[in-house]
Amino acid sequence: MNPTSPTPPRWAQRLLTWLHPDDTLEEVEGDLQELYTYWYQRSGKRQATLRYLLNVVSVLPPLVRRRKQKKSLYVPFSLSPDMIQNYLKIAWRNLSRHKASTLINLSGLTLGVTACLVIYLITSFELSFDTFHPDGERIYRVVGNVRMGKTIETKPIGFIPRAAPQAIRAEVPGIETVAAFHNLHSNVIIPAEHQEPKHFEAGELGADGAQIIIAEPEYFDIFRYDWLAGNPKTSLSEPYKVVLSEQKARTYFGDIPLESILGREVIYRDSIRTTVSGIVKTWNHTTDFAFTDFISAATIRASALKREINLDEWNDIWSASQTFVKLDNSTTPEQVEARFATFAHKHFGPNQGTGDFWLVPALQPLSDVHFNEQYQDNYVRKAHLPTLYGLMGVAVFILLIAAINFINLATAQSVQRTQEIGIRKVLGSNRQSIIAQFMSETLLLTIVAVMLALLLTQPVLAAFEQFIPKGVALDVFNPRILLFLLALLVMTTVLAGLYPSWVLAAYQPSQTLKGQRVPVGHRHDSLRKGLIVFQFTVSLVFIIGMLVIGRQLTYIRDKDLGFSTDAIVLINTPDLEKSKVLAQKIRQLTGVERVTRQWSPPMSEGYMLTRIKYRGTTEIETEASAKVGDEHFVPLYGLKLVAGRNIMPTDTLRELLINQTYARALGFRQPAEAVGKRLHFNGNDYPVAGVVADFHEESLRSPIKSTFIAYIPGLSKDMAVKLATNGQRLSEAKVTLAAIEKVWQQVFPGEEFAYTFLDDSIAKLYEKEQRTAQLVNTATAIAILISCMGLFGLATFTTQQRTREIGVRKVLGASVASLVALLSLDLIKLVVAAIVTASPIAWYMANRWLQDFAYKVDVEWWVFVLAGLLATGIALLTVSFQSVKAAMMNPVRSLRGE
Amino acid sequence: MRRSYLGEFEEIVLLMVAILDGEAYGVSVSQELEQQTGRLVTFGAIHNTLIRLEEKGFVRSELGGATTERGGRRKRLFSITAYGSRTLQDIQQQRSQLWQLIPPTSLKVSGS
Repeated sequence: MNPTSPTPPRWAQRLLTWLHPDDTLEEVEGDLQELYTYWYQRSGKRQATLRYLLNVVSVLPPLVRRRKQKKSLYVPFSLSPDMIQNYLKIAWRNLSRHKASTLINLSGLTLGVTACLVIYLITSFELSFDTFHPDGERIYRVVGNVRMGKTIETKPIGFIPRAAPQAIRAEVPGIETVAAFHNLHSNVIIPAEHQEPKHFEAGELGADGAQIIIAEPEYFDIFRYDWLAGNPKTSLSEPYKVVLSEQKARTYFGDIPLESILGREVIYRDSIRTTVSGIVKTWNHTTDFAFTDFISAATIRASALKREINLDEWNDIWSASQTFVKLDNSTTPEQVEARFATFAHKHFGPNQGTGDFWLVPALQPLSDVHFNEQYQDNYVRKAHLPTLYGLMGVAVFILLIAAINFINLATAQSVQRTQEIGIRKVLGSNRQSIIAQFMSETLLLTIVAVMLALLLTQPVLAAFEQFIPKGVALDVFNPRILLFLLALLVMTTVLAGLYPSWVLAAYQPSQTLKGQRVPVGHRHDSLRKGLIVFQFTVSLVFIIGMLVIGRQLTYIRDKDLGFSTDAIVLINTPDLEKSKVLAQKIRQLTGVERVTRQWSPPMSEGYMLTRIKYRGTTEIETEASAKVGDEHFVPLYGLKLVAGRNIMPTDTLRELLINQTYARALGFRQPAEAVGKRLHFNGNDYPVAGVVADFHEESLRSPIKSTFIAYIPGLSKDMAVKLATNGQRLSEAKVTLAAIEKVWQQVFPGEEFAYTFLDDSIAKLYEKEQRTAQLVNTATAIAILISCMGLFGLATFTTQQRTREIGVRKVLGASVASLVALLSLDLIKLVVAAIVTASPIAWYMANRWLQDFAYKVDVEWWVFVLAGLLATGIALLTVSFQSVKAAMMNPVRSLRGE
Repeated sequence: MRRSYLGEFEEIVLLMVAILDGEAYGVSVSQELEQQTGRLVTFGAIHNTLIRLEEKGFVRSELGGATTERGGRRKRLFSITAYGSRTLQDIQQQRSQLWQLIPPTSLKVSGS
């Protein structure tokens, strides 16, 4: 026999020690060891190890049976009704005794829950759009990539030529249904038999683009409705028919039986007399397809509409004309898109129409319609998905911060409750019932917080109306919201309550009851510190984000764009020839400094790219952005000429201006060298008259491109008016605008006069950023507020515990200042730790956000220092109230009790 | 005359405890079981059955002395209780009564 007995694998032994029930561990370990030796001697090491492992597994949970504890006492079940009643009573007493910490916890949790609820309402609202359609996963919008003119760039577009839907129906297999529709802007007249007809102005009943459409009968095969009257198969098959939503029918005809509305007349555009052929039930789900008047598509060819809506047009596209398809069960969108490529070759290209229109159709899933800003249309209010995800993150962090307050305060206070727990345990409480006791305190608090949040949500929704999409509302009896609230309640309770109650329940009565004080608090000190660091890290990330976004927005506002935006009004006109007249008339008005006829202002959302060639020593063909304007364009916008001269007044395109970037791209070192050189585009050579200094033409997200300015008469339909602002008074501008409107009415009688200030249209380019800024500011405020409340509570507590220490220090000669420093030092260490953790995170996130901009501020070191100082300042301010009070206290009072 | 239900395996293990007479513990029971019946069972099965038997009151246990081959760990020794041995006897008696009732021909036929 071996002198040293063989030993089984160490890790298996550890597994056993770790997982086997404690009370039978010793005997089982011994038995298995003995068996191992026995197997080892009989069949060797391999066999022994194998059997050992098998048998270890057989005594691990869940296979092993546990020895029952012997009970000598009657212990009621932790969740029996009597116990629950008792928990709640004690919880109530405790909460009302510690008013300060209850208030802090309650307000923190309320804020957190409110933020979560509001954000849940917003995100679930946005994500619910058009998710209810039967076969929704087979419904697609036909979108496309379009190339117009001589450019090489294609851009995504949300609609296809008006002739395409019919051709797709005939030529592309795999599609079950194709339905085209056209948004119609129109007034409505309802004739009545014995009284005046009812008039509804265009746009009076809400956005027109989202109300009246001209739809093919197939529309109702794709989007299903409940039909209250009429026949879905035939209602739209003839011209001059209209199907109304129930609501709209009531608006038009009042409360008469639906059947009697059928056959009544509705007149659109004063002359299109349609009869009602069906009434559908309005969907009670969130949808972007909230159309209410469906005019039969056959009406187009039968009426004057055919002049406006040309159904045979292949080489132009209109956002008002959209197409949806439903694919076959067995067809994938990739297959259809492959067929679209062939389709595009057949219908577009050099031999078709003018030859310079090219479009490849593509499919956009219905679920993408609400979120994709790339594809424009007239009816969808787009939601920005990253913002929604950002919001969810913010909600989680705010709730976490509130839960951390709770954990910190509860563990700090636990010192005071050790005796209570000791007595409870001696009287027969077990761990479960003590945990249940503390959890019920948390639960009670959270329930109150949820109730308060419910009350707060409505006012919050009202206060933030501008960011919150219309239609978001709190419906408490909606089962999904109830479920969410329940989940939130359970999660918050567990998150906030589990750890403190676990800790409290672990105290040993023999220790807690023996002495007056047990140094239990120290065990959780490091955890508490860690949590405070976490809280401040979150707050700091928000603060740094706020600073960076704020700086970038100021930068955008103050950046010299290279042109003037002051007192410039943009006016779009419907007609080219008449716009010349209008410009002439406006020029004569007093209060108008200058008028230019143009295609777009220097900076705008849309831009036009053209290929342009320079034949120098080598031929350089580049893509350049075209700005169209007459000789007033440069002076009106205050563009600086760095070489050459402005273009001369002319009726045709004769000469060009280029920007510095373009001059550099062509290889000229000095701008002056470019003057007089000839550029080739549109089949002709044009001389460069001058070079203008670079100016920004898109938002600061994009770099400055090669650009030229030319007067192209055919594209100069719109105009910009520079108002004289000698007095800088708004009232004067109003007078001038009224005068312009009068002139407008003379030139375009019956057309609506609309204008925008260039400032506003530029500010609109940054709407998204403005919104992000407001969001981050609000989140920062809430995060800081909740963190500070927690800190305040904690400070109250720790200073209370150290009153004796402070008293002794004072007696021995410590000054108030040194005591305050002593009490604050710990905190400053934590804030510094938070700055160290937060800085890289914030730096990374800020840079990610700034990546969108070609022109941006640097994330400089002082931003982090400033944020750190801010956080330290706020933290010190919060704590100082308590620490100064403690330091000023008369030591006689604090030491008397000994 | 109700008594606790005793499963087949439980009965065998109880018998082993009785056979070992005060020397029964995990290892000895499992080795005895293997030698007497040829059954190879996991240690967990024996461990669990012993606990169950104790819960039902058929055996009692106490921690015994430590030996070096077990790394100084004590063993839990099981011995049969009065109730346990009465139960075994009851079973035995009932079986023999039942055996008596079998007509001799019946066994022969099935046995041949």
